[in-house]
Amino acid sequence: MEWNPQTLQFLSQCFLDTLSPQPEPRRRAEKNLSDAADTSNYGLAVLRLVAEPSVDEQIRQSAAVNFKNHLKTRWVPSSATPISDAEKEQIKQLIVPLMLSASPKIQAQLSEALAVIGNHDFPKLWPALLPELKSNLETALNASDFASVNGILATVNSLFKKFRHQYKSDPILLDLKYCLDNFAAPLLSTVESISVKINAAAALAATLRQLIEAQRLCCRIFYSLNYLDLPEFFEDNADKWMSQFKNYLTMRYPAVEDSGADGLALVDELRAAVCDNISHYMEKEEELFQKYLSGFVEAVWSLLVVASASPSRERLTVTAIKFLTIVSTSVHHALFAGDEILQQITQSIVIPNVMLRDEDEELFEMNYVEFIRRDMEGSDLDTRRRIACELLKGIAGNYKDKITERVSAQIHNCLALFAENPAANWKYKDCAIYLVVSLATKKAGGASVSTDLVDVESFFRSVIVPELQGQDVNAFPMLKAGALKFFTMFRVLIPKPIAMALLGDVVRFLSSDVNVVHSYAASCIEKLLLVKDNGVQSRYTSLDIGPMLLVLMTNLFGALEKPESEENQYIMRCIMRVLQIADISPEVASPCITGLTTVLNRVCENPKNPVFNHCLFEAIATLVRRACEKNPSLVPAFETCLLPSLQMILAKEVTEFFPYAFQLLAQLVDLNRPPVPPHYMQIFDILLTPDLWDKSANVPALVRLLQSFLQQAPNELNRDGRLRNVLGIFNKLVSKPSTEEQGFHVLNPIIENLGYDVMAEYMSHIWSSLFTRLQNSKTPRLVRCLIILMSLFLVKHGIQTLIDSINSVQANLFHLILEQIWIPNLKTITGNTEVKLSAVASTKLLCESPLLLDPAAEKLWGNLLDGIVTLLSQPEEERVEDEPEVPDFGEATGYQATFVRLHNAGKKEEDPLKEIRDPKHFSVALLANLSAQFRGRFPPIIARYVSPANQAALLQLCNSYNLTIA
Amino acid sequence: MADESAATPRRDPIKNPVGNTAAQRRRQNAVSVGKERREALFRTKRLCRVGVSSDMDVPDDSDMMIEEEQSILEAQTSSAVEELKNAIAFQGKGAVQKKVNALRELRRLLSRSEFPPIETAITSGAIPLLAQCLSFGSQDEQLLEAAWCLTNIAAGRPEETRALLPALPLLIAHIGEKSSMLVAEQCAWALGNVAGEGEDLRHILISQGALLPLAKMMFPNKGSTVRTAGWALSNLIKGPDPKAATELIKIDGVVEAILRHLRKSDEELATEIAWVVVYLSALSPVATSVLVKTDLLQLLVERLATSNSLQLLIPVLRSLGNLIAGDTYTTNAVLVPGHEITDSIILALIKCLKSEHRVLKKEAAWVLSNIAAGSVGHKQLIYKSEAMPLLIQLLTTAPFDIKKEVAYVVGNLCVAPADGSGRPSLIFDHLVSFVKSGCLRGFIDLVRSADIEAARLGLQFMELVLRGLPNGEGQKLVEKEDGIDAMERFQFHENEDLRIMANQLVDKYFGEDYGLDE
Repeated sequence: MEWNPQTLQFLSQCFLDTLSPQPEPRRRAEKNLSDAADTSNYGLAVLRLVAEPSVDEQIRQSAAVNFKNHLKTRWVPSSATPISDAEKEQIKQLIVPLMLSASPKIQAQLSEALAVIGNHDFPKLWPALLPELKSNLETALNASDFASVNGILATVNSLFKKFRHQYKSDPILLDLKYCLDNFAAPLLSTVESISVKINAAAALAATLRQLIEAQRLCCRIFYSLNYLDLPEFFEDNADKWMSQFKNYLTMRYPAVEDSGADGLALVDELRAAVCDNISHYMEKEEELFQKYLSGFVEAVWSLLVVASASPSRERLTVTAIKFLTIVSTSVHHALFAGDEILQQITQSIVIPNVMLRDEDEELFEMNYVEFIRRDMEGSDLDTRRRIACELLKGIAGNYKDKITERVSAQIHNCLALFAENPAANWKYKDCAIYLVVSLATKKAGGASVSTDLVDVESFFRSVIVPELQGQDVNAFPMLKAGALKFFTMFRVLIPKPIAMALLGDVVRFLSSDVNVVHSYAASCIEKLLLVKDNGVQSRYTSLDIGPMLLVLMTNLFGALEKPESEENQYIMRCIMRVLQIADISPEVASPCITGLTTVLNRVCENPKNPVFNHCLFEAIATLVRRACEKNPSLVPAFETCLLPSLQMILAKEVTEFFPYAFQLLAQLVDLNRPPVPPHYMQIFDILLTPDLWDKSANVPALVRLLQSFLQQAPNELNRDGRLRNVLGIFNKLVSKPSTEEQGFHVLNPIIENLGYDVMAEYMSHIWSSLFTRLQNSKTPRLVRCLIILMSLFLVKHGIQTLIDSINSVQANLFHLILEQIWIPNLKTITGNTEVKLSAVASTKLLCESPLLLDPAAEKLWGNLLDGIVTLLSQPEEERVEDEPEVPDFGEATGYQATFVRLHNAGKKEEDPLKEIRDPKHFSVALLANLSAQFRGRFPPIIARYVSPANQAALLQLCNSYNLTIA
Repeated sequence: MADESAATPRRDPIKNPVGNTAAQRRRQNAVSVGKERREALFRTKRLCRVGVSSDMDVPDDSDMMIEEEQSILEAQTSSAVEELKNAIAFQGKGAVQKKVNALRELRRLLSRSEFPPIETAITSGAIPLLAQCLSFGSQDEQLLEAAWCLTNIAAGRPEETRALLPALPLLIAHIGEKSSMLVAEQCAWALGNVAGEGEDLRHILISQGALLPLAKMMFPNKGSTVRTAGWALSNLIKGPDPKAATELIKIDGVVEAILRHLRKSDEELATEIAWVVVYLSALSPVATSVLVKTDLLQLLVERLATSNSLQLLIPVLRSLGNLIAGDTYTTNAVLVPGHEITDSIILALIKCLKSEHRVLKKEAAWVLSNIAAGSVGHKQLIYKSEAMPLLIQLLTTAPFDIKKEVAYVVGNLCVAPADGSGRPSLIFDHLVSFVKSGCLRGFIDLVRSADIEAARLGLQFMELVLRGLPNGEGQKLVEKEDGIDAMERFQFHENEDLRIMANQLVDKYFGEDYGLDE
């Protein structure tokens, strides 16, 4: 693409059209751009357009976004259509000045684009970048052009982030050294010069804001550069850095801080960045840091006492408390040993931060999903409530008794205050519950816990039960939520009779209008149903929920009708769990399947919440499995309900749901007695559409469905060229390492279920495509699958058929395969069914085939026996070596759904050799029988070709079955 | 056969996290961004305050330190350079003495001031003049004074050191056999300062042939010369390119000289030689494989056992650690359990673990972790030694950096080396006894730390406890120490490796029934 007025016009028009509200011109423009993106110098042309001042800002913005995305997919040389090196060089030359002179929105995009390049090229392939940024930084600083200063610092910050969260290695250290050599000293001088400017600009709010942001960015860069190791330059200049840091913790900037919440937030961001830095030093460079420690503890402490008392300031509070937590667990923990200090910590820092704020209440009401994520699922590591408890835990590491005593006292206080005036002081009770739950120790089995702070049973009785028994399900919802959470967390410790007495109340809370409350109620029930005694025995059974099943299900489906809970995953998960456990009578099954199908039809419109959707499909699968197992007459009713929905998923191409739909269909096919009803055969034909098989997420589910069809309706396969289509799919799958295993899953049921006469004409073709694949790339998995396939073939269709069929590809091929593939790799077979199958087939081959009984083949015979004995006598983990997973960058075709197995739509493992119970016995018996026919012939062969260890193992096997090989 | 999961190879997902890493010897990274912890003052660059030879006739007054205002000092310096320029231009009688006098004055200013006026000397044009004074055939006294001046200029800031570039060929020429010992030593000192500055300068020195003559300076038994040469060499070979170290070890006589000096010399000289060994063993596998076949290990262990000099103990420890980590011959053939040397090294390391010095403790733990990565015999030896209570105590109470090294020792003691099948297994007795002594808590602290290597180590140990202790005992212990919470922190961690490891552990040992956590 050449840069000329036509190009400018073309691109401008395209980018303008992409913003059009009309779908038609928008799609055309998108298509034009994506076609143009394949021509060389496209990226360069777009970048030039971004830089063209005459073009409308809106168009340039959209071009900047396109430019960034273009680089994201094409900068890496391994991408499908990479940008050429020459074009890259030109882009690299242009981008820095362009970014610096751009308007803020475009600057942000270009800075990101630069980071994309940097991720791959910086520093080795882009040696000019850092010097360029450095000199621009100096110029901008001298010119007091702080917009540019911040642009450059932001860019450096994103470039250097690569040094965080990496293991130390020489290459990464070399890169770091390069960055340090070039940027450590300029960073310090920038910080010092900005610090002077901050003092000078004390009253100029706008400038001060920029400068404080610049300092924050410098702190973040400091963090990246110090992450892996303490660099010499920073050690030598520690005094200077620390005095700067302390400055920002102790100084106030009224012009900014008092100008409103965002001004305070800006300064707090800087202070939080400082806290991150000193936390890092405290943790990793304590030797250097100790002389600054007490000064910082004091500064952070004073800051915290003020910040804890005010609303907002969450991020600062969190990082500051984190710093104190690190100190409390370090060798300097004695700083916190004094009784008075401990008292202050609990009273002035912990309690104010644990106490609910307006923000918490707002979140509770406005965004229940996020509230639950933080409150219940532990993504609250960065909230002030949680970090305050972390501080207590940290100190308790060394002063457990003192902390326990103080926190117990605080809990007592809170409850006493609540008792004085429950309506006004309800937050104190919430605080008490939160402390008990958060300071509990997690135990095995997900979220169950224990605590030393209170006696759980009596706390439950006196504090929690009254809440649960409250009649108004919508009153004091945060307390109700806290009580339900407590019940959930301590469910293992609450005796069954007490829990049972409250179960009705919990079911009642499902009808609360408050989203958190009905979610917690559902979650509580769901987790109770999972409680196991002694690790095996479910504590609550169908008998326990039977009496309230109808009201429970009614309330659960009712909750799904409440605003914002239409796709509430906690509710759906509870439905799924109940259906897994309860006794499902037709009276319950029928409304359930109707309810679930209604929900399914709704989510098909616009699938949003994958967890909800998964639980929904799982719930359907459970219901189908358990209801129909008990009562096969229900099958047609279920089909009537479900099939239209499943067909709609296929017809409307709700691709996210394809894997689920195929699994449910397979389940339905399995439930039918042959012959399979004709409407299913339409689906069979859909199944053979090659496009479906292109999406890797579909493949396991399609295979599962295909297997069901093959087993239920093998003869249907023979009609209308379907077999040929199926084999085409097999060919396609087996040609790629990523799907080779699936290919065998398609083939195996054919081999197992069809007569040889039907497939004879295809076999030679099947073998030759397999052996070609073997020649091109012989993966261990392919070899294993092949051995299993040949074994299956052998036991189903006979030895000679197998040998002839393989030899029809090429004379004597079987001998070769046996010698080079089968025997050496027999010991790599894993899985009970597979080991049994291949051991039995190998033994049959050994004892019944003229090929091996030929005296000239005695070496082959001996080796095969050796392999069989290894397979049978050694446990899997001793035979099989780890193999590295083959990385496979399969092409991505369109939207990628992911395959998730439906636990309840699964198949039981089918054993093709049900008649043989013990493969060891079978093999040894066959061998003993053979040796009886050829007395004296085999012992010398065994002595010669079977390893001593295996000889011993064989002898042991013989003895245990009382057989002999003579 | 029907279920598609049936033919999937069953693999134990958890065995991979432990194996390779927990029982590994660790070499220090060749590239370092941190400050060199040599503990000796002015290690990389050294100002020469007193001449290399005490019998040189130096006027008495020059022993006094100059205490002048900086501005006066600078004025004196530029006039001294001016004087030198005149002296070189002067052709008449006493020209040589005039030059020497001018050099001596400049040298006095550069060596006797608290803050030597190096910058002034350079801007006044001293370097080309000094290089000129190094020309061959000049008197020793002149050469010595000129080299001394250059030495102190090279001890300055980076750009000041670089200013020596034009003088390097002559300085190198004078460390050859043709020059007197004293001149050679002073020139070696100057070169040592240059080499200490940076990798690019080391490259230049090596390409100009500094390595061989410096190596040969180590051969005689003259203490001060060998000391200076050893120090300069250690600067010259410190990489990160290993080429120089490999070349050095191949020079005839070098190995013998190193061994001789380490056997006989005083602690000061032994310190410099030990630093040479540090870099040889850290960078060059060739050098390491040569050195481990000599009695170097024996000598180092003796030094470790008998010396109380921190300056000497640090490079000795570092060398031992490198030799053990770098070549399996060390643990397989020399430090064999049952040999006297093995008992001695463990005793000496225990001495260091007990020492007051933080660095010694840390380095000793590092060396011990490398021995602990050896055979089961090694592990048992350490396990039965007096090191055990020390390790346990350090793991719970020491500062973070020491704790981390100790954790490597403990981790290695609990894992047996991989046998033929590539599968390391755990040593039950050791694990149980460490866990009984409360070590799990220390490891869980590491899991919580921001240091990702330490966190990995903590997770690996937790995995051992979970896998190794019978009857779900491990789960209970991890639970009790709040380890589940510590692991759950990694649920969304940026480091993929740790995230996977932690999530696998939680799933495998603490997962509830299907469906609870997708």
